[in-house]
Amino acid sequence: MSDPTGTGVTLKISNVTKRFGDFTAVEDLSFEVRAGRVFGFLGPNGAGKTTTIRMIVGITAPDNGSIELFGEHVSPHLQNRIGYLPEERGLYKKMKVVDQLKYFAALKGMASSDAEKKIDFWLERMKLSEWKTKKTTDLSKGMQQKIQFISTVLHDPDLLILDEPFSGLDPVNVEFMIEVLSEFRTQQKTVIFSTHLMETAERLCHDIILINKSRKVVGGSLREVKESYGKNLIAFRGMGADNLISDRTFVEKVVSHADEQELHLAEGVDSQQLLRALIESGAEITKFEITEPSLNDIFIEKVQNA
Amino acid sequence: MRKFLAVVKHEYRKVVLKWSFLIGTLLLPFLAACFAFVPLIIFSLKGEPSRIAIADPTGKILPRLEKNLSAERMVEKAKKAAKDSLTKIDASQEEKMRNNAAQFMQEFKLVQYEIAGRDQDEIRADLLEKINGGEINAYLLVPANFDSPDARFEFRSRKGSDFVSNSTFKDALNDAVRSQRLAEANISEEKLAQLSAPVNFDAKGIDERGAEKDSAGVFIASFVIGLMIYIMLAIYGQQILGAVVEEKETRIAEILFSSARPFELMLGKLVGVGLAGLTQLAIWVGTASILLGFLALQTDFQAILASVPTITPIMVVYFLIFFLLGFFIYASIFALIGSMVTTVQEGGQFAFPPMMLLLVGFYFSFAVIRDPNSSLSFWTSIAPFFAPITMPVRIIAETPPVWEIALSIAVNAAAIAGLVWIASRVYRVGMLMYGKRASIPEIWKWIWQA
Repeated sequence: MSDPTGTGVTLKISNVTKRFGDFTAVEDLSFEVRAGRVFGFLGPNGAGKTTTIRMIVGITAPDNGSIELFGEHVSPHLQNRIGYLPEERGLYKKMKVVDQLKYFAALKGMASSDAEKKIDFWLERMKLSEWKTKKTTDLSKGMQQKIQFISTVLHDPDLLILDEPFSGLDPVNVEFMIEVLSEFRTQQKTVIFSTHLMETAERLCHDIILINKSRKVVGGSLREVKESYGKNLIAFRGMGADNLISDRTFVEKVVSHADEQELHLAEGVDSQQLLRALIESGAEITKFEITEPSLNDIFIEKVQNA
Repeated sequence: MRKFLAVVKHEYRKVVLKWSFLIGTLLLPFLAACFAFVPLIIFSLKGEPSRIAIADPTGKILPRLEKNLSAERMVEKAKKAAKDSLTKIDASQEEKMRNNAAQFMQEFKLVQYEIAGRDQDEIRADLLEKINGGEINAYLLVPANFDSPDARFEFRSRKGSDFVSNSTFKDALNDAVRSQRLAEANISEEKLAQLSAPVNFDAKGIDERGAEKDSAGVFIASFVIGLMIYIMLAIYGQQILGAVVEEKETRIAEILFSSARPFELMLGKLVGVGLAGLTQLAIWVGTASILLGFLALQTDFQAILASVPTITPIMVVYFLIFFLLGFFIYASIFALIGSMVTTVQEGGQFAFPPMMLLLVGFYFSFAVIRDPNSSLSFWTSIAPFFAPITMPVRIIAETPPVWEIALSIAVNAAAIAGLVWIASRVYRVGMLMYGKRASIPEIWKWIWQA
């Protein structure tokens, strides 16, 4: 079901631009999300993530460009196949949990008998069964988050869009949610999620896109992205190498960690070149490892240098 | 369509399943019932009778006083007062108070005081002692010369501030003394009643077919209808405002908009809440019919019922139509306001202009009641915003030609189409704008943007 057109592409965004008056929220953005993959939509606050997501779920329309979902142009009837958990989210304060969930399910076109079964299943899953007939005001913040998550997945969507899904959750619940998301991955559902938490993105995502100031900065599979940054980073531990390390013709930047240093090679310098020079200088090397940059490093570098 | 119905159902349940709905629905018929039944209940309540010693050296006043204060006479008086208070709406405040007072039935026990040759001061001392001993509550000294204009009737009571009993007693005494004076002047009571009867001023409005109706009854009925629509529109308009602001404030709107079209959501909300209002009206119309039916069986109330203008089923239909027209006009304005503000408090401030508009419509209904055929009445009962209140009032007061009613419905339906369109444009954008309240130029832009 997640790939009815056989193209393997759930979402295709082509040259999309969205303006609000003089402000351009999204400019000439293009990317694809492949079916059955977890896609990380990354970027600092105000980069245009929420605007893009709103266009995907059909809340707003792009000024230019096109958005194709499941091989069709976005239209209201596709909304039933999307589960959307907004960053800014809430529940009806004085309504019973089960009634709210039923209403959200009905809005996604579910029959009420189906909804009832699914609600019981998910409340059980989230260990919230005894809260079924309680009102929102009786629930803790974390419980409310889980109820909101249930409302997103209740109708068994083919595409799940989660905007900062972990904010406000304690670590135990974050782990629990990640576990649930991993199941979606195995069911060949497509997940798009936006987050600031690069560690989480790194754990969960197959593919990422990083946008900043309404434009795409970098995108592709996590592997590709990392590899394109990864050849000039060395984890180093040793003695008597200070002279060489502080030589800017070899090493552009040194980041000191507790018991090792992270060396960023200068442009045009090969890691093997540096290793030879270190050996020749007589330094005592206990660790010399070519590492990948973390997503966090890439994020910070790309956003700072922009 | 299915989603639209889901929204309607959701909004309907949200209103109807609340305690406030139940309380509000019960309260109005209850208050109405109070007006009808409380006097009846009060009549049947008998407090402790006032024991009054009458020292009547002439022996002529006491029997008449006893007759005037008899239980049968009191019931008669109370009924007349009850009827007057319902039908005589042009009575002065003082008159009304007296009427109301008279409805509280008193019971008096008169004790003949044996004078046995004692003089005034001895009698007074003896009676005061009896009052202090609790044997009696009050005494009346009838002067021997009650005939003369300056005769003084001395009445002393422990319950001096009980103006109700005092005035009842005073009226009865007045009547008794007057009858006695007339009897002594050889004029019979009947003769006097005949001579001093007020002219029968038969004032009734007539409609174009010459059918008569009672103008006081028409006034009350029109006023009640106008007031009811006004209150309903204010309550249900605020309901819409609150519901919209809640969805915006809690950010539920974002989830809703990713599931259904904003237009569906807004219209569903209006229809759902409107149906809830209609439900409440239906309950009231139902209870009112039952109540009137019940009263019609009580012979005591037939005179009152006769003064209530006949309300035909078509009038009820018109009434419901104009309620709905008014509801959609004001509800769409309130939905618009709800989507442009950020908090309930802010919404309250912005609710002021439409509430004023509603109030002006209610005030116009007085002009309509006074002269249903004036050109002011004509225009206000056609104009949007006012017609939902003034037209039903006009229909009760003096049903206008059908084409005027049809024109009013058409004009207001067109206004609704326009307002719903504008409101939905603002709603669609405003619901997702967090942080600050939208300015008028911004709203103008939202309306026209694609």
